Amino acid sequence: MKRKLQALAVLLIFGVLKLPLEQHVTRDLRRMRLVDEPMNLGTGENMGQMGLAATLGGLRGLVATVFQLQAYVAFTNVDWAQVDKYYNFVNRLQPRNASYWEEASWHMAYNAASYYLYSEDLKPGLRGQLYQAYVKRGIDILTEGLKFLPDNPRLWQKLGDIHWNRSKDFKAAGDAYWNAFQNGGLNFTQRFAAYAYAQSTDPASWQKGYGILKKLYDEKKATPGLIEYLKMLEQNLHIPAAQRIPDAAPVRSTPDPQAGPLK
Amino acid sequence: MSQAAAQTSASFSTPTVRFSPSRVWTLAHATMTQLMRMKILPFLLVLCALVVAMGFGLSVINPEKQLGQLKSFSLGSLQIFSIVIGIVATALLLPKDLEDRTLYTILSKPVPRFDYLLGKFIGVLMLIASGLVIMDAILSLILWMQQSVLFDAAVAQLHQDKQDTPEALAQLSEIVARQGLTWNLHWAVWAIFLKASVVTAVAMIISCIASSTLFTIVITFCITLIGHGEALIRDYFFQPNLHSTAKHVASFVLAAIIPDLTQFDVVDSVTNGQIVPWNAVNDMTGIAALYLGVYLFITHLVFVEKEL
Repeated sequence: MKRKLQALAVLLIFGVLKLPLEQHVTRDLRRMRLVDEPMNLGTGENMGQMGLAATLGGLRGLVATVFQLQAYVAFTNVDWAQVDKYYNFVNRLQPRNASYWEEASWHMAYNAASYYLYSEDLKPGLRGQLYQAYVKRGIDILTEGLKFLPDNPRLWQKLGDIHWNRSKDFKAAGDAYWNAFQNGGLNFTQRFAAYAYAQSTDPASWQKGYGILKKLYDEKKATPGLIEYLKMLEQNLHIPAAQRIPDAAPVRSTPDPQAGPLK
Repeated sequence: MSQAAAQTSASFSTPTVRFSPSRVWTLAHATMTQLMRMKILPFLLVLCALVVAMGFGLSVINPEKQLGQLKSFSLGSLQIFSIVIGIVATALLLPKDLEDRTLYTILSKPVPRFDYLLGKFIGVLMLIASGLVIMDAILSLILWMQQSVLFDAAVAQLHQDKQDTPEALAQLSEIVARQGLTWNLHWAVWAIFLKASVVTAVAMIISCIASSTLFTIVITFCITLIGHGEALIRDYFFQPNLHSTAKHVASFVLAAIIPDLTQFDVVDSVTNGQIVPWNAVNDMTGIAALYLGVYLFITHLVFVEKEL
């Protein structure tokens, strides 16, 4: 009995001593982004995350992959509600995996939206309504993903793509591309931010776009598309002739609905 | 008369038996052989075959996703395998030795109980480690093969779509390299081994206290589940605005007696292509060594007094 009491005492003393050590190791691992930070999304959401963490432990990745495969089956069956539901599970299990957010938004904003847009069984008004609803769902998914991964250039870029290609909100597209570039995105995201700003209806955005394009032009990084948009902005912003670029290129006067990055 | 009795007593007194690494090794080896006879390795080979088949059968949305899925499935299977083997093998060992009366044969010889415990523990760990090494080698081979096949296919697709710009190719190469075979994969397997070791040590304590195998398995599984939420319980305990004393005490007791298993959960990050630095490996190894040392000492304290 004496040894058993000693064992209990060792367990409790070690328990007290290990707590700060565990806190330290967990903090280190969280800093290195190897272990997830607790989500700050309100009590209800936190309890959900706690339950998932405690129930699935280190198997969240495995379970997420299984749900992702289920979503793929639902996608092949053209069951968009199921696709959305499964990706919702996947993203709750793996909120720091950018590719899941990206894939979920792609399914909603491109595949599901296009499916309803071209669905001949539906009335034209309803088609448009469903198209808009799914594009919005795609945007919402990426926006939610960016709460977890605010410095992920890929998610910002994909958000820019959806705003450009689907919702035609060029100011929002410009902001998204610009954030992608600011967070280490590829060089084209900087140009695309300016192109998107150039096509918006907001003069302040034109000014931003002009600033970016002029800087790139001065750095001898001009492409035919850049010159085209720069000339469009010079015209829209009434830049004095002396300050305009000398290149000859067709001047754009309207946004090009077909332009933009391909998915 | 009393002097003669004292002399007789002295001549029969038990000599002090010291800790012997070679004896521990013999016991560990025997334990591993005993577990191998339980057909654990054929089960492992079936698991390997399934993972290999899955590696070539996962949906191809993009190469990054496919490699990620392969890693996720394989590492997840390894976690399940190592924890289940750790718990079940440890829970079976003591009762089986008691039933076969092997325990009495061993302990009737000059073998300290601690040597016996340590031998059993190392035997289980050796089995888990050899299983993980086999799986790691196979997974590495598949990943390496898939990596090159998927990269070539993705480049061909880009070429067909006339999107094969140097920028796009560089990004594709970077993505495939990060998701493919890297040292991080082996660190993830190491983390899985550390977690399984800690769970095995916990099972060892419970096994010494419990009277049935089923009880040991169920309780250790419960502790393993709670161990994955221990970090949240600890965060809850340390939060400054916790007014309820009952909640404070409950969270403290749980956090104090349960090991934090999330410290070894780097698998998801490795699957996502995150790099595991040396500091993290040292942190995980250090804390696991501490758990193992203390839990083995507690097991010894419980087992040394156990009536057999």
